[in-house]
Amino acid sequence: MNRTGFVGVVLAALALALAFRLARADVRPMHHDEANQAVKFGELLETGDYRYDRHDHHGPTLYYLTLPAAWLRGQRTLASLDERTLRAVPAAFGAGLLLLFLPLARGFGRPAVAAAAVLAAVSPALTFYGRFFIQESLFVFFTLGFLIALGHFAERPRAWLAACAGAFAGLAYATKETAVIVLPAAAAAVALASLTTPPRRADAQGCARPERPSIGVGSIAAGIGAALLVASLFYSSFLRYPGGLLESARAFGTYLDRGVGAGPHTQPFDYYIRLLAYSSSGGLVWSEGIVLALAVAGIVAAALARESFWPRCVAFYTLITLAAFSALPYKTPWNLLPFYVGAVLMAGYGAAALVGAGRSRLGKGLVAGALLIAVVHLAVQNWRANFIYPADPRNPYVYAHTVPDFLRLAGRVTDIAALHPDRSAMLVKVVAGPYEQWPIPWYLRGMTRVGYWPSAAAAGRVDDAPVVVAAQDQAVAVAAALGERYVQESYGLRPEVLLSVFIERESWDRFMASREAR
Amino acid sequence: MNKKLVVPIFVLAVALAPLSAQQATEELKLKLPKPMFIGTPTNIKSANLEAVTGKSRGPFMVPAGTKLLSLKRPIKSSDMQPVIGELDMINDGEKEGGDGYFIELGPGKQWVQVDLGASHPLHAILLWHYHSQARVYRDVVVQVSDDKDFLKGVQTVFNNDHDNSSGLGVGKDREYIEVAEGRLVDPKGAKGRYVRAYSSGNTTNDLNHYVEIEVYGTPAK
Repeated sequence: MNRTGFVGVVLAALALALAFRLARADVRPMHHDEANQAVKFGELLETGDYRYDRHDHHGPTLYYLTLPAAWLRGQRTLASLDERTLRAVPAAFGAGLLLLFLPLARGFGRPAVAAAAVLAAVSPALTFYGRFFIQESLFVFFTLGFLIALGHFAERPRAWLAACAGAFAGLAYATKETAVIVLPAAAAAVALASLTTPPRRADAQGCARPERPSIGVGSIAAGIGAALLVASLFYSSFLRYPGGLLESARAFGTYLDRGVGAGPHTQPFDYYIRLLAYSSSGGLVWSEGIVLALAVAGIVAAALARESFWPRCVAFYTLITLAAFSALPYKTPWNLLPFYVGAVLMAGYGAAALVGAGRSRLGKGLVAGALLIAVVHLAVQNWRANFIYPADPRNPYVYAHTVPDFLRLAGRVTDIAALHPDRSAMLVKVVAGPYEQWPIPWYLRGMTRVGYWPSAAAAGRVDDAPVVVAAQDQAVAVAAALGERYVQESYGLRPEVLLSVFIERESWDRFMASREAR
Repeated sequence: MNKKLVVPIFVLAVALAPLSAQQATEELKLKLPKPMFIGTPTNIKSANLEAVTGKSRGPFMVPAGTKLLSLKRPIKSSDMQPVIGELDMINDGEKEGGDGYFIELGPGKQWVQVDLGASHPLHAILLWHYHSQARVYRDVVVQVSDDKDFLKGVQTVFNNDHDNSSGLGVGKDREYIEVAEGRLVDPKGAKGRYVRAYSSGNTTNDLNHYVEIEVYGTPAK
């Protein structure tokens, strides 16, 4: 593949990746976690203040890196924010991954990187979580950046490469606590690839590890210094709270308990592989098995090749991170991203190896044609996962997601408020435990008097609010307290989780009259 | 009166005078509790939902000679190309909840319609939308008519669209959670050749589903 063709394919893949990740960003209701992050970001946007919370929310980069997106769109308050602004940030980093592949062109070969870029662009899983306002997309970008910078440093030990790797490590650590798994995995992968690749001078394609990679103290200092500097700046809220970095270290206890302890997110060892390989539910079938199969082919090709530092490096990284995340009992589907990005790269390598193994032009053409069909197959699934069934529990990437019916609840409350004398200052009382409160704060962000209580007993008097929202386990008590003066409705929050909405009859009659007048 | 007391009383009276003349107002600032930040939730099947639907329906009495009239009769829909399944699955007699037994119609308001072949007095209509998961279907309306286009002679025998969002009139029936025994609608002897059932999404997604529809009546002579 010549340089022009390579650049053309990667640019086309980048455009496709951006289109899949940015289009109709508001088509899926906000997940509990997204709303949580959005409200936290809103505080930073409005007040300029952020303080790391070691009990939840992960690291600060998502919030700080969302600021430019909000400023660009002229949004200065939580109420003015929308899904397009928030989800544009993970989308940009998700598509940006493809640019990180470029430095691998020398070690992987251009066809392999071009194939990986196309697979990454259309991957349903990478796209789905690239449209999700959580840390994962940024985290994967920074950890892959670290792997690539560290691998290049292993090839050519230069201080600037060490600083680059350190900066990526600092960013990854300031994004998510699981950096303590992924960064050592990347370092181990580089070390293992170095040990298993015969040292010699780079050939014409530069596929081999050069001789005598000696590492100076200055380089190590540059790497560690850059990592500490970046992590300290973010965790200290840019020096406003100097203890932030220490707090991040104290968070390990919390996340260790969560990661290894039994809980509602406990899944079997093969959860991630099964999720990607095949799932069938409610008449819908999903599979990214072709990527996994190509990745296996790529790993085998890397093992067989004599001079393949980079393919082996990414293969080790993929296998180590897959093993580590699979071994942890705590599993949420977006945690598959760190190893799956490696798998996509290896799939690109495997695809190029398969095409290259064809003995005739016809053979190569047939393999390339089959791969093209596989890409179309992934793209169709991508479309279904992100635009047709974006919040449907039959979609394997959907996890405890807010159902579209919840948007009707939010619409009902704002419609009632629009007709109420207090308008957006209408009092709304939410009586629900913390798991049933979200994403209400996001959807009612334009309302100024919304209160949240975990139980009817804690809420005290509720009949002074024109609208009361209650979780199912509180609805009976709330209904008894409100009596006949309120109309009760039910709305979905998540699959099999309902919320009750109580609307004062006067407000209800006003609403129905307005509907009839239309 | 003691002169020493006169001055302070005068000052106090002057100070309080505006309060008695005009009661100043200000907005009552309510301090409301903030939402609690917490980690990723799971889908939890609420025990409370089970309590709502846990009881069996019990026997339902119909006139002697009542028969199932809808089995494998012609059927049509507002969405003639279901996303999943074929329309004739709606009245094929299969009522299992699993995959392969339901059809999926597009989002928003959709209807399905059974042609009974002739106008009959109807005594029971059973609907199974989707019963492998606890969910509520929105704006369920069941109508009977002799007009295949439902423009005239329409009798509404069930309507739980309490806010008239489907535009078929305000319904007084209650929403319900789907269960394996289906929803029994009592048409109270309403006579008609066509039975049409509407819905508008559900509490899990915007789509519409049917496992089965059964219409019982006394065959017209």
